[in-house]
Amino acid sequence: MIRAIWDNLKGLYSLLVGMKITLIFLFSPQKTVHYPRKTVERENLITYRGPLELTRGKTDPAVTRCISCQMCVKACPGHCLTVVKNPEKSVKAPIEWKYDFTLCCLCGACVETCPTSALAFSHRIYLVARTREELIFDLLADLKARVEETPVLPGEEGASAEAAQG
Amino acid sequence: MTGFNFINPFGVSDEPGTYLGDFYTDNFEKKATAGNVILNLGPQHPSTHGVLRVLVELYGEYVLRAEPVLGYLHRMQEKMGEVKTPYQYLPNMGRVDYLNPIAWNWAFAGAVETLAGIEVPERAEYLRVIAAELNRVSSHLLWWGAFVMDLGGVTPILYAFEEREKLNDITQIVTGSRLTLNYFRFGGVGQDGDARFFKLIEEFIPYMRERLKMYTGLVTDNVIFRRRLEGVGPMDESLCLRYGATGPILRAAGVNYDTRLAIPYGVYDRLECPVPTGQPNDCFGRYMIRLLEIEASLTILERALASIPEGPTLVAKAPKPTYKLPAGEVYFAVEGARGQVGCHIVSDGGKTPYRVKLRAPGFSNLSLFAEAAQGTILADAIAILGSLDLVIPEVDR
Repeated sequence: MIRAIWDNLKGLYSLLVGMKITLIFLFSPQKTVHYPRKTVERENLITYRGPLELTRGKTDPAVTRCISCQMCVKACPGHCLTVVKNPEKSVKAPIEWKYDFTLCCLCGACVETCPTSALAFSHRIYLVARTREELIFDLLADLKARVEETPVLPGEEGASAEAAQG
Repeated sequence: MTGFNFINPFGVSDEPGTYLGDFYTDNFEKKATAGNVILNLGPQHPSTHGVLRVLVELYGEYVLRAEPVLGYLHRMQEKMGEVKTPYQYLPNMGRVDYLNPIAWNWAFAGAVETLAGIEVPERAEYLRVIAAELNRVSSHLLWWGAFVMDLGGVTPILYAFEEREKLNDITQIVTGSRLTLNYFRFGGVGQDGDARFFKLIEEFIPYMRERLKMYTGLVTDNVIFRRRLEGVGPMDESLCLRYGATGPILRAAGVNYDTRLAIPYGVYDRLECPVPTGQPNDCFGRYMIRLLEIEASLTILERALASIPEGPTLVAKAPKPTYKLPAGEVYFAVEGARGQVGCHIVSDGGKTPYRVKLRAPGFSNLSLFAEAAQGTILADAIAILGSLDLVIPEVDR
């Protein structure tokens, strides 16, 4: 009888302990990041590996370093890359560089095999598309647009910039 | 009804009163006693953690028989291993079990390395241990939240996700993604950890110890929670061994078996990893084992951080994407969060492996359910299902 009462009191106390913890957390500052109004800090974003991008050329930043060797195309498990060689044999740069993000699994096989480090992961974490076609990127046009937007990179601009400078 | 109905394969009939069930339901119904209710738990049921379907025969509220029906999330992972080169197949390992991808990374990379005789640098081995233990903690945390949610406590999963976010931030630094981690390479790891990576882990270990104390007060000591679990769904040693259960379930049954110590791989034999055992073999014991394993993982992390050497993280002649495996056969097993994760590769020396067999611990662990759930109340059956820590994508592969 006494034991039963004691057990019940102990059980009641365990519930109070749990409620105290809940109350402490109720009045402690909120940790949720409310996305459209607030975003995650930058050092957390630049470690994210998003869709591929071509790195800037060493002499002319708008010209890709790609030499159309097709190593990335062979390495890709999802068959998401299309690199078309220039018909003129003297020019190594490709004439078309298509990247199908709908098939990409972001494994990095292409980035790791590229002999000229022409490929890098971007940090585009807020990528949105309404149709499938919007996710098939033309990376040569994308490189040109990026170079036109910021011709000279500021000191630190993530991994792609380091690769471009080095 | 006998055999497969070609005219009406889905068992839908327009005539009133004639419902033809599917193959599993038909077979299950044949053995049912008249008057009992046949109930489908799932495939879309919040407590089955995915698309698992369990057929149960109910007498009142008591489960007389239960039969899990699998295959709703089958993605042909083993077949994909036969059509891709090992290098191209490696990213798939992050997708077999989305909660514990590092263990699968390790199982496949380890199998290929054993077959090809590739040496892994010292620093890479330590980074592998660190990544695997971080991933084990994150997997157990999600299980903890989901298990308590199955039993009716909705808020604890939100606390668990706070820690998981921290862990995801840490693993994102080296792997680049938050869920389907693809960190291992044949002969090393993808990327070395930077100063921020090690700093965040060092901050995380004491923080997690504090949180474990909070979990004890919030959930473990809660009298409602304890009475709900204590003595429910006992699984003894013979049951576990008969069905091939591994991991926390086997250790809760009193068998001191951990792949990290039984078949040492990596540098685990040097780290003296503690293996918690000695809990009751009911649902509460399995719950406690997992919480103790988080604590043990933190200890291993501390030791690995203290003794990590400098050096390269990838062997100099690492396999290229078109790498061909030498002919042979190998089985490599690692300890995942749910049990022994194994990978069996048969290669004939061609471009792709001849056969890749993946041993999912969840598959064996799920087969215990049918026997353990017999004669329990339906609500207890849900608790047993939750305590098995099932991830259905891994079970179906």
